[in-house]
Amino acid sequence: MKSMFRLVLLVPLLALVGCVASPKKFDYTKFRNANPHSVLIVPVVNKTVNVDAPDYFLSSITVPIAERGYYVFPVNLVKQVMADDGLSDADMVHANDPIRLAGLFGADSVLYVSIERWDAKYAVLATTVTVQLSYELKSGRTGEALWSNKQTLVYSPQANSTGNPIADLIAAAVTAAVQKAAPNYMPLARQANAQAIYVPGQGLPAGPYDGQYQKDAQTF
Amino acid sequence: MGRPLRTITALSTCVILSACVTHKTKYSWGGYDQALYDYYKHPADAAHYMTALRAAINGAAKNRQPVAPGVYAEYGYMLMQQQKYEEASSYFEQEKQAWPESAQFMDGMIRAARLGGKPAGGSNSR
Repeated sequence: MKSMFRLVLLVPLLALVGCVASPKKFDYTKFRNANPHSVLIVPVVNKTVNVDAPDYFLSSITVPIAERGYYVFPVNLVKQVMADDGLSDADMVHANDPIRLAGLFGADSVLYVSIERWDAKYAVLATTVTVQLSYELKSGRTGEALWSNKQTLVYSPQANSTGNPIADLIAAAVTAAVQKAAPNYMPLARQANAQAIYVPGQGLPAGPYDGQYQKDAQTF
Repeated sequence: MGRPLRTITALSTCVILSACVTHKTKYSWGGYDQALYDYYKHPADAAHYMTALRAAINGAAKNRQPVAPGVYAEYGYMLMQQQKYEEASSYFEQEKQAWPESAQFMDGMIRAARLGGKPAGGSNSR
């Protein structure tokens, strides 16, 4: 049921993304040379007014990177330990030396994520939810940038017409009210992560715990 | 004309595929991502989050999947919050055994748990 919903959500999104997808393959030279095995995800920079966005986002990023074949440092534990060490300010941490950060944990790469947009625009007929994220992976040994990606996902529920304008208006108002109470960003965040990480030529190459490790040079 | 169409088709296929294979993951997660989200939403409800972490650990043998990276350590930290330092230590040790990448960090956590104090990062660089 849940995956059905996800699929329904995906198709219009993809059509959108397909139009802007750059066919140019990302330059993986530095990534291949660095050959990272583990990823430390540091506090997420929030450029939005939604104060909860970084925590919510943090819960969605481990699974896709681990399933890609990397060791992902436990995000909640890392967050608490960094806070105890005076490293809870994400903007400060992002400006910090990646070599030093990686050294604290023994990580060989550091992932910096910024939430550029995380908002909902309410209208009478349809609510539009937007999530925009940028990702940058830096080497824990040299500090150089190994990979980056940016995703913008927009979800606008289709207003299915019943043929009766009054019924349509009521249905739309109900949808908007429900979403106003708790707009669901997480499917969009998960989808943004999946696209950032898995799309051939743009995402992360398979990591050491994946069967395709170092066999995917054709696509990555 | 054919190029963008192919891109769209390729993209849809791969993402739809990735959506479909989510049920067959490499690791036992026990609903970790949703549980962590819920925990951030309701920080008072640590029990629900810990149940998910235990499900990831207990589900590993049953589903013949390794426990997902980070899960032992996250669980150990929650135990540490409850002053169960010895038990916490044993989970940090399991994380280290399962994932050599975590060794330096887990050594730091084991030291911190032994001291019964607040957690400290891999402390050899300080």
